[in-house]
Amino acid sequence: MLEKTKDIAKQILEEKKAGGIFGLMRNRWNVVQPHMFEDPAELDALVLEPKWLLAKLAMSILRSSPENYKLAVVCRGCDERALIELIKRNQIEKERILTIGIACSQEQAAICLCDRPYPAKLDAGKKVSGVDPFQDERVREFLIGNDKKRMEKWATVLKRCIKCYGCRNSCPICVCEPCKLEDDIWVQRGAVPAEMITFHLIRAFHLSDTCVACGACQEACPVNIPLLYLQLSMRETLKEKYGYEAGLNPEVKSPILSVVFEEPDTDREYPAWINSLREKDGY
Amino acid sequence: MNEPRILVFACRWCGLIGADAAGKKRISLPARFRVIPVECAALVETDAILRALAGGIDGVAILGCHIGGCRYNNANQTAIKRMELLKDLLDTTGIGSNRLLFSFGTAHEDYQFEEIIKNFFDELAVLSPLDPWLAPFGVIS
Repeated sequence: MLEKTKDIAKQILEEKKAGGIFGLMRNRWNVVQPHMFEDPAELDALVLEPKWLLAKLAMSILRSSPENYKLAVVCRGCDERALIELIKRNQIEKERILTIGIACSQEQAAICLCDRPYPAKLDAGKKVSGVDPFQDERVREFLIGNDKKRMEKWATVLKRCIKCYGCRNSCPICVCEPCKLEDDIWVQRGAVPAEMITFHLIRAFHLSDTCVACGACQEACPVNIPLLYLQLSMRETLKEKYGYEAGLNPEVKSPILSVVFEEPDTDREYPAWINSLREKDGY
Repeated sequence: MNEPRILVFACRWCGLIGADAAGKKRISLPARFRVIPVECAALVETDAILRALAGGIDGVAILGCHIGGCRYNNANQTAIKRMELLKDLLDTTGIGSNRLLFSFGTAHEDYQFEEIIKNFFDELAVLSPLDPWLAPFGVIS
């Protein structure tokens, strides 16, 4: 898989399809770091492990480089979906980005609870089947039980928050400027632990239809809050009701931007109606 | 136990007039709710709902126009979808989706307004308060 990725990368550089390959490099101190490969001779140092999300870095590279500069990114499934979401939100120009898709291993999929551990455009590696996150014991612990139990469970983990904003900064799709989480109206500044309802739920809801379930937020969290589990049920709803998954198709817009009648026919339940022709009403 | 408190966001074309009419007809209503007029139900940000819950409000109701009766390009329909997603999030965290009410009515539906608010109060009264989630600051007194 590694050799094939290197071959493709070399080809791209030699044919000048892109100005640089953005991937992971093992440097001379044997430490893995993101690196921009602009010379084919450098490519020997390219590595694929560990999982490292490059979408946000790729975006900042593209923003600071000249307009005709093209970038090829070595990306996993989640990374590719994040790039597509960024394209949909007009953060990256579609023409300026190339992807070299690599598949994740079964172990990695189990760690990330990934239901789609491969990119749509797969270049190297073998597809492995995804994991259903709702069958996992770690997730069930948080999603099963009555409301009171769940509330206590979440309160105990969210109380650990030190408000480092790591979840927001590491998220490949959190790009808003200015951010509501820094505004006193919504979230009180300087208060630790963060206000639980506002800080965590506003952040989670803003990503409701864009979350690609990469798990960067919980990997970045220094106090191990399982932030990805907050998103799972919303992702599942979007999938079930509208057949929408974030980051799959750059042409399909998020369903929460369209009205009900434009949807493909699904057996959806409408919220409680008020019958305006009731006898009790004097009209 | 304290009586629950409700915040109502009412669209000014329908929900608000209905609420107003309920007052004009002297229908007896529970006291602990406040109505905030908004231009359209779709203008109620989900963040504002979360902010209200964090401020010690027990339930939030959003009243819009009937499906098909929206003045603003069927905006209430996009709002439904957003609220449904928010309900999922509230259920996940155990706050409970029944703290959020999304309903539609027209301007003359004052009796329905009364019924909605009374039912909502009854529903909220049996829920446990949000205490474990409220930080010691920022609570609206």
